[in-house]
Amino acid sequence: MGIATSTKPFVERVEEAKKDKFMQASVAKAQDAQWDKREAARKELGNWEQWRDLGEQIRQHVIKYLPDYLEEFADNVEKKGGHVFFAKTDQEATEYIKDLAVKKAVKKVVKSKSMVSTEIDLDKELMKLPGVSVMETDLAEFILQEDNWDEPTHIVFPTLHKNRDQIQKVFEKLGYTGSNEPEKMAKFARKYLREYFLQADMGVTGCNFAIADSGMINLVTNEGNADLTMAIPKTQVVVMGMERIVPSLKEAEVLDNMLSRSAVGQKLTSYCSFSGKRTDDESDGPDDFHVVIIDNGRSNALGTQFESVLQCIRCGSCLNVCPVYRHIGGKGYGSIYPGPIGAVLSPVLDGYEEFGDLPYASSLCAACTETCPVRIPLHELLIEHRHVMMDKLHTDHSLTNTIMKTIGVGTGSPILFKSAMFGANTASKVVSHHDHDSVAGFLYETGRIGKLHKPVPKFARGWTDIRDLPQPAKSHENFRHWFKKHKQEQAAKGGK
Amino acid sequence: MKVAIFSTCVVDLFFPKVGQAMTEVLERFGCDCYLPENQICCGQPTYNSGYLKETDKTLHNEIDSLLSVDADYIVGPAGSCVAMLRSYKNSLKDDPEYAQKAAELADKSYEFSQFLYRVLGVVDAGAQLDAKATYHRSCHMTRLLGEATAPFVLLDHVKDLEMTPLPNIQNCCGFGGTFSAKEPEISQTMVDEKVDSVLSTKAEILISADPACLMNIGGRFSRRGEKIKIMHIAEVLNSNVDVKRIKYKKDIEKVEQ
Amino acid sequence: MGNANREEFLDFLAQKAKRPRHQLHEHPFQPLNDLPETTLSGKSQDELLEIAQKNSEAVKVDFKKVTTENLGKLLDEYIAAKKIKNLILPTTDKWNEFNLDKWQKEQAATYWQPQAAREVNIKTAQSADGAVGFADYLLAESGTITVATTAGQGRAFNFLPTHYLSIIKKSDIVPRTRQAMDKYDSDIKNGVLSTSNINFITGPSNSGDIEMVLVVGVHGPLDMTYVVVEDL
Ligand code: SF4
Repeated sequence: MGIATSTKPFVERVEEAKKDKFMQASVAKAQDAQWDKREAARKELGNWEQWRDLGEQIRQHVIKYLPDYLEEFADNVEKKGGHVFFAKTDQEATEYIKDLAVKKAVKKVVKSKSMVSTEIDLDKELMKLPGVSVMETDLAEFILQEDNWDEPTHIVFPTLHKNRDQIQKVFEKLGYTGSNEPEKMAKFARKYLREYFLQADMGVTGCNFAIADSGMINLVTNEGNADLTMAIPKTQVVVMGMERIVPSLKEAEVLDNMLSRSAVGQKLTSYCSFSGKRTDDESDGPDDFHVVIIDNGRSNALGTQFESVLQCIRCGSCLNVCPVYRHIGGKGYGSIYPGPIGAVLSPVLDGYEEFGDLPYASSLCAACTETCPVRIPLHELLIEHRHVMMDKLHTDHSLTNTIMKTIGVGTGSPILFKSAMFGANTASKVVSHHDHDSVAGFLYETGRIGKLHKPVPKFARGWTDIRDLPQPAKSHENFRHWFKKHKQEQAAKGGK
Repeated sequence: MKVAIFSTCVVDLFFPKVGQAMTEVLERFGCDCYLPENQICCGQPTYNSGYLKETDKTLHNEIDSLLSVDADYIVGPAGSCVAMLRSYKNSLKDDPEYAQKAAELADKSYEFSQFLYRVLGVVDAGAQLDAKATYHRSCHMTRLLGEATAPFVLLDHVKDLEMTPLPNIQNCCGFGGTFSAKEPEISQTMVDEKVDSVLSTKAEILISADPACLMNIGGRFSRRGEKIKIMHIAEVLNSNVDVKRIKYKKDIEKVEQ
Repeated sequence: MGNANREEFLDFLAQKAKRPRHQLHEHPFQPLNDLPETTLSGKSQDELLEIAQKNSEAVKVDFKKVTTENLGKLLDEYIAAKKIKNLILPTTDKWNEFNLDKWQKEQAATYWQPQAAREVNIKTAQSADGAVGFADYLLAESGTITVATTAGQGRAFNFLPTHYLSIIKKSDIVPRTRQAMDKYDSDIKNGVLSTSNINFITGPSNSGDIEMVLVVGVHGPLDMTYVVVEDL
């Protein structure tokens, strides 16, 4: 699938999302429920802001010394008999894993949820091999796979856009005959997937954190499928984004605590596992342990103003607080990384050509920045992207650009602004209404402007397409005029 | 105490009543108010759109103008714009000419309700208003300026005013500056949800400390033909004032002791 | 491929970041606060037990307290209540420590066998509808048991059986993840512990993937019982 999930233009995706009332309702419900759970979990932990300081420090530190930590990690994996492959691109990664599958004569691959593997399109690549089948074992990913490889719309809750009836239909194709109760459907999936697990000869997992000083990987899950993926098959492949590393088990433990609380409002998820190649006296776990460390565009952030995006621990909390995500959902973004982190990360990984719209899909309300457990200044990075696109790349040649530049000139010059204030009322008179009986108060005291039509530029119509605009105050009624008069009156009274 | 009024372009252009109410309240509490002539705009429209170069001139002008009056404090009627003023300190930190001035500006700039509560120590401004109201918390005032207490305390003390909590108060109203014009489709769904939340409280009045949010939410109310009265917090605190009711933080603390 | 592949990749990162490699030894990680250690510290073992119970029950764990004397009886009751027919037990010398020697010998149980092949142990665990095992620590803050994989209690032992019971000494209750991790970290580094896998398990397996309705028991055990032995 790659990062992009759609070839449609952004406006079209938004239009479609707006029509999807089920999606909107379920996202809103999820956000509200998660809000309560998450905030309660953070509050109970106490000193949340100081925990964020620590989380940020750990992540900043490892990004700063990334090559050193990756080297240490790779040494330790190899010392224990594992293998590490460094992949610059998605293709290098999938080729390596495909070669391995061929070499090991793999037939059945089990996968536990991993965003990176979706990013590099691993499932489809593996299925190109003759005789190889792939099974996603995370319940949500399994549902997506069986629904004709539908796209994930959330990095923690991939099936947030689906309801129980839709899922029931998907399962019926697999022979399910029960009701639409989540409990029953989950039991069905358990049984179905268990059989597959027992025959699997290759397991593919992601990696929440790689532990540099022990060569272990840390996975944080709720279902237990990742642990079965690491226990049963003889060969395990770990795909990890190159930034997912920590110095030792201790920092992993700190981040697991923060991740669990931020992602799902739990103190810890059901399973936090630290794992590597089987030792000689153990009987399960991988005989063959391969870690594929993937760049695939991440290095574009190194040494730039976007470096802090690599601090991300993929908790999804910024999606869960985002008012834009609330209304357009994952599909609106058209990236497997949606929401605020997606709007920052997708253009870094894949460029402005593909994802240049996303940094504008934000009201800059800063809810993301406020919630991020590792203190990524997300809304500032969105402005940075806009900056790069506007000032440096000059990507916007439209009228908006001219208008914004004019505003820049106007708001930088007192004389121009004053003449604008003077003329504002007159200029807009043509389109104003005075039938403003629904809204009382100061807002429309001077009149109201309704829907504007062409030839008014689209940018200006954007406002009045959906809401009324107050009529600018007449120059002899505006605040500055009042203030001057007010001061004169005070002086006359001999007051202050 | 000398106060320079940071009027903001929105109030200058559209909302004289808001500026007047704020001035009258400040004067009631003994502030000597000045309105620096050459001020225009905090620069958010262009800065937030990524036009950083174009914004520089705006920032410089705003700093020069607001500092042209030798005031103890700079007070504005919009949390978002005040947060922007304070952020100059950071965005101009490498500007040899303006870094120092920007820091000075940041240190003495306050949003109106924040100034009343934090600097003057007011908890009851002496106002009275017989109505049921709800308060919209602006994102920038809460998250960037970090002020989530002052307006609530002040409104809670207004005589006869019944405040009802706004559901999903944490969600943005969909204004977002140029976002509202550039992404009207998304902005609409956001502001619609906000309008619905306000309606669900059955409040007669919607209050906020950010005129731009009010312009957005009120504008949508108007377009949908739903009834509401919109008030800026300065207007509320300037309603039917009886100075005998005025209370300071220290008065309450005394009572509590 | 090995080193060439690695060196090229890491050099490229250093070049992009405009920071030379091999600076870490002079700038090791120093945490800026000690919250991981101080949070929930200074509690007595009795207090920790109480906190652990509350938090375990909050994650749908059946939490039991018992003395060594009654431990065997409690396990019998558990097996009867869950109607367990194929019990799996670990191969370990802990039975003696918990005064369960006799109990263990009386069971018609199957075992996770240290010398057996992968397939054999996995098959045994898969056929088991109940497991009784031991945990290393119980974390009070989160209601979490921690288990390091050993030759006698493998990975799948903890995941394949339908019902799962874990026995923990009261003296092995620690405040939080940090204390357990400190011990694992130093035991691994000092060679006291050799393991490829550590599981922190907090309640039964669950999922919220269908309409965010919490479903308990997806891949791992359907339910979890913790038994704290109070006189150990
Ligand atoms: S950016 Fe921050 S809040 Fe968003 S997913 Fe990453 S860590 Fe979580």
